[in-house]
Amino acid sequence: MTATSAEALPAAREATDAPRRLAAPLWVGALLIVLAFLVIYPLLMLVFGALSDSNPIVDGFGAFRPSAKHFFDVLANENVHLAFFNALAACGGGTILAVVIGLAFSWIVVRTNTPFKGFIAGASMIPLFVPPLVAGVAWGILGSPKTGLLNTSLKWIGIDFRFDFYSMSGLIVVFGIYYAPYVYMFTASALRNMDPSLEEASEVAGASAFTTIFTVTFPLIAPAILAGSLLSFVVMLGIYGVPAALGAPANINVLTTYIFKLTAWSPPLYNTAAAVAILLMVVTAILVWAQQRVLSGKSYATVAGKAFRPRSLNLGPWRWFTFSLALVYLFVVVVLPTLALVIAAFRKFLFFRDFNALFDWKQYSWVHFESVFDNPLTLLSIWNTLKVGVITAVVGGALAFAIGYTVNRTTVSGRRSIDLLATLPVAIPGLVVGVAYLWAWIGLPGGLYGTIWILALAFVARFMPDTVKALSTSFLQIHKELEEAAWICGRGLLGTIRTVVLPLAKPGVVASMTLLFVLAIRELGSSLFLYTSDTTVMAVLLLDYYEGGNVGKTAAFSLVQTVILGVLLGLTTWISRETTQNTRFN
Amino acid sequence: MKRRTFTKAAVLGTAGILTGGLPAMAQQEKFGTKEEIAAAEKEGGLTYYTANFAETEQEVIKEFNKTFPKIKVAMVRAPGGQLITRIKTEAAAGKLGADVVNHSDRGLMLELQDLFADYKPPNAADYRPDALVSPKLWPGVTLGWAIAYNTQLVKNAPKTWMDLTKPEFKGKQIGQVVGPSGGTTWTRIMFERQVLGEDYWQKQAALGIALYPSGAPTSDALVRGEISIAPLLYNIIYTKIVEGAPAEAIFAPEGVPIIPYADGVTKTAKSPNASKLFMNWRLSKEGQSFQIAKLGNITSLKDPPSFPKGWDPKVVKVWVPNFEQFEKLREPWLNEWNKTYGYRQ
Repeated sequence: MTATSAEALPAAREATDAPRRLAAPLWVGALLIVLAFLVIYPLLMLVFGALSDSNPIVDGFGAFRPSAKHFFDVLANENVHLAFFNALAACGGGTILAVVIGLAFSWIVVRTNTPFKGFIAGASMIPLFVPPLVAGVAWGILGSPKTGLLNTSLKWIGIDFRFDFYSMSGLIVVFGIYYAPYVYMFTASALRNMDPSLEEASEVAGASAFTTIFTVTFPLIAPAILAGSLLSFVVMLGIYGVPAALGAPANINVLTTYIFKLTAWSPPLYNTAAAVAILLMVVTAILVWAQQRVLSGKSYATVAGKAFRPRSLNLGPWRWFTFSLALVYLFVVVVLPTLALVIAAFRKFLFFRDFNALFDWKQYSWVHFESVFDNPLTLLSIWNTLKVGVITAVVGGALAFAIGYTVNRTTVSGRRSIDLLATLPVAIPGLVVGVAYLWAWIGLPGGLYGTIWILALAFVARFMPDTVKALSTSFLQIHKELEEAAWICGRGLLGTIRTVVLPLAKPGVVASMTLLFVLAIRELGSSLFLYTSDTTVMAVLLLDYYEGGNVGKTAAFSLVQTVILGVLLGLTTWISRETTQNTRFN
Repeated sequence: MKRRTFTKAAVLGTAGILTGGLPAMAQQEKFGTKEEIAAAEKEGGLTYYTANFAETEQEVIKEFNKTFPKIKVAMVRAPGGQLITRIKTEAAAGKLGADVVNHSDRGLMLELQDLFADYKPPNAADYRPDALVSPKLWPGVTLGWAIAYNTQLVKNAPKTWMDLTKPEFKGKQIGQVVGPSGGTTWTRIMFERQVLGEDYWQKQAALGIALYPSGAPTSDALVRGEISIAPLLYNIIYTKIVEGAPAEAIFAPEGVPIIPYADGVTKTAKSPNASKLFMNWRLSKEGQSFQIAKLGNITSLKDPPSFPKGWDPKVVKVWVPNFEQFEKLREPWLNEWNKTYGYRQ
């Protein structure tokens, strides 16, 4: 920042001081009211549930019988301890792998001259579209120790080695490869927005490219790495599908599978599930606090007033090495599980006596797709899902921008509370948060319950942390001097946001809204309690197929879902690229 | 259209209604009076909450609509425990969306019986008394346990429940659904201990059993060859067998534990006439026959209209749990089961 702008700023502020003084508390108050409705109220319901034996709607608040029994039950249960450590091991290992893969990948795509980068970047996001349940099923088909396609192939080749994805290491690998895109999204956006002059300075000072990466590039994007790894860790903690499909056969329980059992048992033990959920929230709160401690007091602004173009490192012949690395990654992450799903979707039954049975073409047909599209709910669920996805992305994107800006770019009092409230929902597993929303919102006057809007609101609330964190990274990187320049030029706050902040944060905003859209489309836990026959969504139908024991139909429907998501995301990427280019160069 | 053509079409049309329409009407009147049917058709549809498999229930709705095409059935499906929570909460908020509820857990439905209207199907007397827990709730669906096996992997197919304790099936060849998964599995393991012997669990657990959270992944694992043998609800494996999966299922002579559902019409039903007609049809001989033949269900009718393939009524006995014991023994026995099978709950 220059001395001139720092001195000029108070003078420029003088004129608008009075309305701003009023506007700030009003604005913070409005945000807090929205967050109270979306987060605090349902959370209170959850705490109410965890601390009593009653259902707040069924028994009424008057019947509140405070009891810490559920907490003590949960804390004393050895199986919960085991599930807790399993969850930490699986998610911790998965996060480390996700960081290694995501970071390497974003560097290859953004900062090197590896060939076909656009294709690699697009394809690497595919795992994000795959619902966790489908990912678990796909890797079960591939990596089951007895009948997995990988092992059938190894046997045919004559290699003795056997994969076993029904294990802790299997869970870690699948978590790692499926949540690497989270880290990738954060770090790629940070790398793209980074001023290359800092790296150039390092190289001018004699550092090698390798040293520069580890001493300049990665430390500078530390907020993005931390945010990405924290988010992927916490999201993994809340995933049910992968451990259900891969952990269950080996009797490996994690917290989510334990919570699912609590909610699915007869009678369902929601109060105990709420107690486990609150423990999860405590873990997450500690992690968020730790992240803030690490980042506090350091400046990570890398987008300054100087114009720049992201530079590509010329790898020479090594670019073919990075290209082949990317290909191997894509093969493992995209091709193999997709192939497993395609085989499952087109094959009548998944029984393979040996490798040659894979090529028995009589066993393949469109029967599962025909059956899926014969179901009148299929088209209805697709249409509903798209509507919910769009509403969630627009409303949630706008809210996240408002929150992100307030938290990261202003000094108004109350912003820390806003940040905390916006982060809380990340820790609550979907199945439990679903019942919290049901308890909280069913009693509201008006016709919200039973509409698409209640689903969209639940998704906005549930995924607010993901969206706000994704956006915050973009905000952290925009140097304050750019806004100050606009103020000096006489722009008001809204004008500055419109003409400076929004255009610069546009890649982040589009990425966050896209993320929100994808998450909304996959979300099952909260949908299950809020959908009605008219508002059924794809995730609910997918669970119906899975619970019906129809791997073929599950695979066929998830391929349909993947194709729809792929097309829509391709479209948004194209639109965002067009608009970004127009903003930058026009 | 020329007048002659029009007249011809009108005559043919009327004839069609008279010849095709009359039997259809007669068919309809098996399930309700003319007035009830007219009232139900005026309502036009109903909302059906079910904990059963969505696809299965869609088949039921499709078949119902062959007789009653003017009554649309909108379905909401959720797993058992989650469906109960939803019903309780909706009802407490005065927003219960269900006209008809279909649920496998009779104990939980019994707790909710105040939400249900007085209802009795026309053939109420034909139902087994031990399949009923409340005069308001009726077994629209009845499921039964069979022994399924992969025909490509098993040389000596099991013929009895006791065969599932034979050492030749050791080493996770047998898979099964965990005890605490719900009322259906609890019925089977209660049967195993009460009918097959106090030590049946120990003998079987000693073989090494692969455990699954529910019936769907178990049947999938059986078809894929992950496991060779599994006790399964017949309806889960039946449709796969019909479609050509490498599997077969038998009913064991020691007994077939059955699970009668508890279905009812809610007091707050927006379409009470359509709901009653839907229940009448499902509980009728026709409705039950359809479910046996097409879906692999069993029936709680005293005199079953038909039997599933391989069911010899002279040999196979139906086993219905004593409802009082079903509730009382559940927790202590399940704890023992968990220990015996090494299942961490």
